[in-house]
Amino acid sequence: MTPGLLGGLSLLLSLLVSLAGFVLALLAYLQGDGRFLKGALRAAPLALAFAALAFLALEWALLTHDFTLRYVAQHHSTKDPLWVVLVTPWAALEGSILLWGLLQTLYTYLASRARLDPWRRSLVLATLFGVQVFFFGVMATIANPFEAMPNPPSEGMGPNPLLQNHWMMAVHPVLMYLGFVGLSVPFAHAVAAMLTRRYQTWVAETRWWTLIAWGFLTAGKVAGGWWSYEVLGWGGYWAWDPVENASFIPWLLATAFLHTAFVQEARGRFRVWNLAFVTLAFASTVLGTFLTRSGVIQSVHAFAEGPVGPVFLGFFLLVLALGFGLLSRVGREVGEEGGLRLFSREGALLLGAFFFAGWALVVVLGTLYPLLVEAFTGAKVSVGAPFFNQVSLPLGAGILLLMGVGPLLPWRRAGREVLRNLAVLLLALAVGFLAGLLRGYTLGASLAVGLFLYNLAAVALLTWEGLQARRRAGLSPWGFFGQRRRVGSLVVHLGVALAGLAIAFSQTYRLESEKTLYRGQAWEVAGLRMEFQGVRALDEGRRFAVEALLQTDRFGEVRPRLHFYPQMNAPLAYPRVVYTLGNDYYFVLMDFDREKGEWASLRLIVTPMVLWLWVAGGVVALGTLYILWPEARPRTREAVA
Amino acid sequence: MRVFLLLLSLFSLALAQEGPPPDLSPEVFRIARALRCPVCQGESAAESNSGVAQEMRRLIAEMLKEGKSEAEIKSFFVDRYGEWILYEPPRRGVTLWVWVLPFLALALLGAGVFRYFRRPKVELDPEALKRLEAELEGPEETP
Repeated sequence: MTPGLLGGLSLLLSLLVSLAGFVLALLAYLQGDGRFLKGALRAAPLALAFAALAFLALEWALLTHDFTLRYVAQHHSTKDPLWVVLVTPWAALEGSILLWGLLQTLYTYLASRARLDPWRRSLVLATLFGVQVFFFGVMATIANPFEAMPNPPSEGMGPNPLLQNHWMMAVHPVLMYLGFVGLSVPFAHAVAAMLTRRYQTWVAETRWWTLIAWGFLTAGKVAGGWWSYEVLGWGGYWAWDPVENASFIPWLLATAFLHTAFVQEARGRFRVWNLAFVTLAFASTVLGTFLTRSGVIQSVHAFAEGPVGPVFLGFFLLVLALGFGLLSRVGREVGEEGGLRLFSREGALLLGAFFFAGWALVVVLGTLYPLLVEAFTGAKVSVGAPFFNQVSLPLGAGILLLMGVGPLLPWRRAGREVLRNLAVLLLALAVGFLAGLLRGYTLGASLAVGLFLYNLAAVALLTWEGLQARRRAGLSPWGFFGQRRRVGSLVVHLGVALAGLAIAFSQTYRLESEKTLYRGQAWEVAGLRMEFQGVRALDEGRRFAVEALLQTDRFGEVRPRLHFYPQMNAPLAYPRVVYTLGNDYYFVLMDFDREKGEWASLRLIVTPMVLWLWVAGGVVALGTLYILWPEARPRTREAVA
Repeated sequence: MRVFLLLLSLFSLALAQEGPPPDLSPEVFRIARALRCPVCQGESAAESNSGVAQEMRRLIAEMLKEGKSEAEIKSFFVDRYGEWILYEPPRRGVTLWVWVLPFLALALLGAGVFRYFRRPKVELDPEALKRLEAELEGPEETP
């Protein structure tokens, strides 16, 4: 048995089992027969087992340098260190679709274990198996990771050097895929709810699944930002690259759903919107894959291009057609206009969803605009960071504003008692804004300080009120912290407020300059003094490294590098970052004197508060984890306080 | 240094070097960030390290030294590469719509949201109203 044979066979079996599961689950629904459902349920772990076997076969092929497989020959070399070998499955297209398929079978299996009525359970399974059939079908036909190589080479090319430069590459794609694939479960629940006309009960279960996917997406985005910051050498974490945008859109829509789902649970409103958000969130993950993989859009993520673009476009249209076909019926059957008050919890949540959905819409428009213009007029236009930054500013500020006041408002209608709280919030906003202006910050940065304090005040007030309420009821006030959903969401909000502050400052006060230094020459930027002491060459086997030796007055010796990979004709910068609580000092070696090593060209980027962005990401992840902790899983509908 | 050169030549073919690159001020990067690198996959002239992007940064630094304004520098690149080079689409012509569409879309979405905040129209069947009134009056007629 060769890895190629094992892998190919496992893939085929996984496809067949998924197909069988799909048919059985559909029969179970159409015939109302529990025996078919039992069969479908059995298919779920079986598909997972075969997918896992296929994945292991790919790892096996990589570990044994089996260059008879095209994927291994093109993305692996015998010189790769072990951790790079282990993450090579998602270094290129076919392997990453295999990872996607594997995670899909995992989610299908987990979702199949959830207790639901047999009608919806069959439909959830049918939808998820349908998605599985698509992915394994793609692998079996046009993107086979086990395709044989006619003339196997004796040495492979190795993965894209950008991907082996940082350990974060082992983490970021897996987290992203866990997030993307995770959104298929809410979609399946939505389809089941729409077909069985159970427009209310689906929300509680789906919210839990969405939160899981959302948590992974958030963590994946933070990891991706970190990777981009530490590896790409331009000292930024977000570039509004089309692929970044494509993953931002499902995140925004899932966020919108998480908020309006809350209203549906508590008040039974927004039913149509919730179904639409979930459908669109999943559809946009497929659209994102299409944009990444088809090459229609220029992107830094182009290393995973391949022939699968049109197929994903077709799948995207299919998902949309299914979702919106069903939604049109829901729209006719569920009338829920009017009767809400703006100045209430549900009013704030609906407005918040408006901001998130609106943001998603704006990002879609900006990302697809160049494509549309070129398709219709043939003209080439660019829509980049300056556009997205300008349109995102009011939307982001609006979200931060609602995030503070929303949870403080009572359901239905707000009375006079909230006015005191509002006054506190506005005071915090004003104090922060004025303090920022007095310190000489820009209007935007001052507003960010104000909004941060405003949200801090909101979290403090909510915590205080929660403690007081329990004390008044004669309960231990500390029991408040056992209310995972409430406390967790406060923690998440805290993290988002911190992220807002970090983004505002790092975008406003970034300082970037470049200078050629001769040996012994000193350079002073932003209060940091450094002296260039020469370059050093290192042979690291699979690559060759050149280090510049910089003696700084505050951080000792800093050695930014250039990496030379045999498979690339240009060197790859390997920046060194020194994180401090205030500023990040980012050193990049741009060029050096190749004859005598007399000079080096260095770029120094000083960015405030970047460290806090990673901290904020951690805080959000912790808050999400706290809500999701198994104990807190809502078996029955939780009382909404 | 000789071993060093030897090793380098093994790894990199692009060895030709004209001399040290020029110094670049923060202003150069600020302008370069608004310009697209013509040969890269979605990177700006500030981010990319391709030869073209480096040349663009050098040109920007030179023009700044000559006292040219940001607008003049940008129009120099637009003359060479067309408006496609600008990451901020101009607010006219075919790219005007990318600025207008978000507003239209948000307005549309806003109108959808607004419907939730309207007072519900309560329309009762006039006959049912009459019947209800009759029932209310009922007991008084038959004491």
